[in-house]
Amino acid sequence: MSEALDALIVMAYRQLKRFRRGRARIVSSIVNPIIWIVFFGLGWSNVFNFPMARMIFGGLDYLSFLTPGVVAMSVFTASFIGGITVIWDKQFGFLKEVLVAPAPRWATILGRIMGDSVIAVLQGLIILGLSFPVAHSLNPWGVPASILYMLILSLAFTGVGVSLALRITSMEAFQMIISFLMLPLVFLSGAFYPLKYMPDWMKIIAYVNPLTYTVDGIRYWLAGVSSFNPYLDLAVLSGLAAIALVVAAKLFSRTALD
Amino acid sequence: MGADLDGFAIVVEGLVKRYGRIVAVNGVSFRVGYGEVFGFLGPNGAGKTTTIHVLATLLRPDGGRVMVAGRDVVRDPVGVRRSIGVVFQDPSLDGELTGYENLYLHGRIYGLRGGLLEERIEEMLRFVELWEHRDRLVKYYSGGMRRRLEIARALLHRPRILFLDEPTLGLDPQTRAHIWDYIRKMHREMGVTVFLTTHYMEEAEALCDRIAIIDHGKIIAEGTPEELKRMAGNDIVYLKIRDVKPGVCGFFEDLALECRELPGGRIALKVGDAVKSLPGILLRARDKGLEVLEASYHRPSLNDVFLLLTGREIREEGPMDMIKAVVMSRRWRR
Repeated sequence: MSEALDALIVMAYRQLKRFRRGRARIVSSIVNPIIWIVFFGLGWSNVFNFPMARMIFGGLDYLSFLTPGVVAMSVFTASFIGGITVIWDKQFGFLKEVLVAPAPRWATILGRIMGDSVIAVLQGLIILGLSFPVAHSLNPWGVPASILYMLILSLAFTGVGVSLALRITSMEAFQMIISFLMLPLVFLSGAFYPLKYMPDWMKIIAYVNPLTYTVDGIRYWLAGVSSFNPYLDLAVLSGLAAIALVVAAKLFSRTALD
Repeated sequence: MGADLDGFAIVVEGLVKRYGRIVAVNGVSFRVGYGEVFGFLGPNGAGKTTTIHVLATLLRPDGGRVMVAGRDVVRDPVGVRRSIGVVFQDPSLDGELTGYENLYLHGRIYGLRGGLLEERIEEMLRFVELWEHRDRLVKYYSGGMRRRLEIARALLHRPRILFLDEPTLGLDPQTRAHIWDYIRKMHREMGVTVFLTTHYMEEAEALCDRIAIIDHGKIIAEGTPEELKRMAGNDIVYLKIRDVKPGVCGFFEDLALECRELPGGRIALKVGDAVKSLPGILLRARDKGLEVLEASYHRPSLNDVFLLLTGREIREEGPMDMIKAVVMSRRWRR
């Protein structure tokens, strides 16, 4: 068991170490959400600058409404894309080094997912920190609770990303799947506009979209506004994360060379 | 499994591996004893890498039985993985980490830690002369350095059996000789059993105690390099003699296994060991008043064995081991 734990820790450590070296990845992962907050958020916040506007967003100014959504989005994106590193490892051969090791496969893949999740959460926190000066209604005491939501979201979607990457051999196919899934999921999560104004068919998708529950949960803890019970959000996310991690571990245990 | 298998590092019986309709390995059987250096020699696509991947538990065999370090690769892959180190044909290092970090990661995955791990890393990095480069990112290493780091990494957890898949593929001749030295040194100092694949005859000959020649997924010959070369026949000494007379072969009856007169004033003598027979043959020629214009010999190579068994060359490059000694007759007359 301690052998498994060692493998898990060192694989997480590897992801962190690699990330710290990849400056370009750090910069690009932070710039994109900032663009959303500045050019999308600041722009619309001036549009919604009329007396009744706050009613639309549960009493919040638009930037305070948007920020939890963008934070969740950045964690979600970073996690999902984490799967790409598995494809890199396939192409650069490092995956074989892990496959031939005696350490339990579930431990090595879980360690890697955890490492990537920590990275995704750190990115989310940076965005959050940078947003505090412009989003006036955010409560700093809600940050620890939202970290929990981000982490579970990240474990879930890194798990999904890794599982996809284990099945897919080409980088292009992976990127195609990601671009197909990612933007719709972000738009249908309530990150940019409240769920209750969506057409019914969109609402249905939003209700099965795991990102919805993250945005909702984080918004509750940071801004005190939510559509669901925040504990329901947490339960849905945890359930999804558990399934995704088990699937990733199972797939990796069965992985052989093609 | 009987007790007779206990003494073997690797036992393979009737191994079959298919990719769809293509049969990559077709009923291969062999045994490797502990402490041996055993090589698979064959052209590209012969099934060498597939075999190594099955032995290293990365591919499931479709038929046959494979035991490595006394454990079945299908039933107890983790047990096998604990006893082996693998250097893959394609690089499998993490280029974004330093040489040291690559070994550290490996050690931790294999359950090593603390002072022992640090000692081993230093020992192995010094062994392959990369200690000075330990803090450089692996992506800035040269091809030879990477291969050395892979060897160091594969040995870090002290495996009983080391697999080397084409250990010098794509390296220049100097680096190749260097890697051979490491492999010999490692085998000598650590006593590890080595299973390697190669399509370089010189490599198989330079490193292996025993060689199996593999082609189209089947072992077509197996033995020590000497045994294999004997299959292709004896050494042959060629002499070119001035004004040769018929019946010249009679002079050499007791020195050669067989003698044949060739057109152009040449004779061919089949001998056991050309290097040792040549002086005696030349002396005899002088005693009999023959003027030797040229002397050369041909020693069968593993390539000749392959040629004999398959009718093809093992690879496109010509054999390097045809040594020709041209001797001026005047020197011999004085």
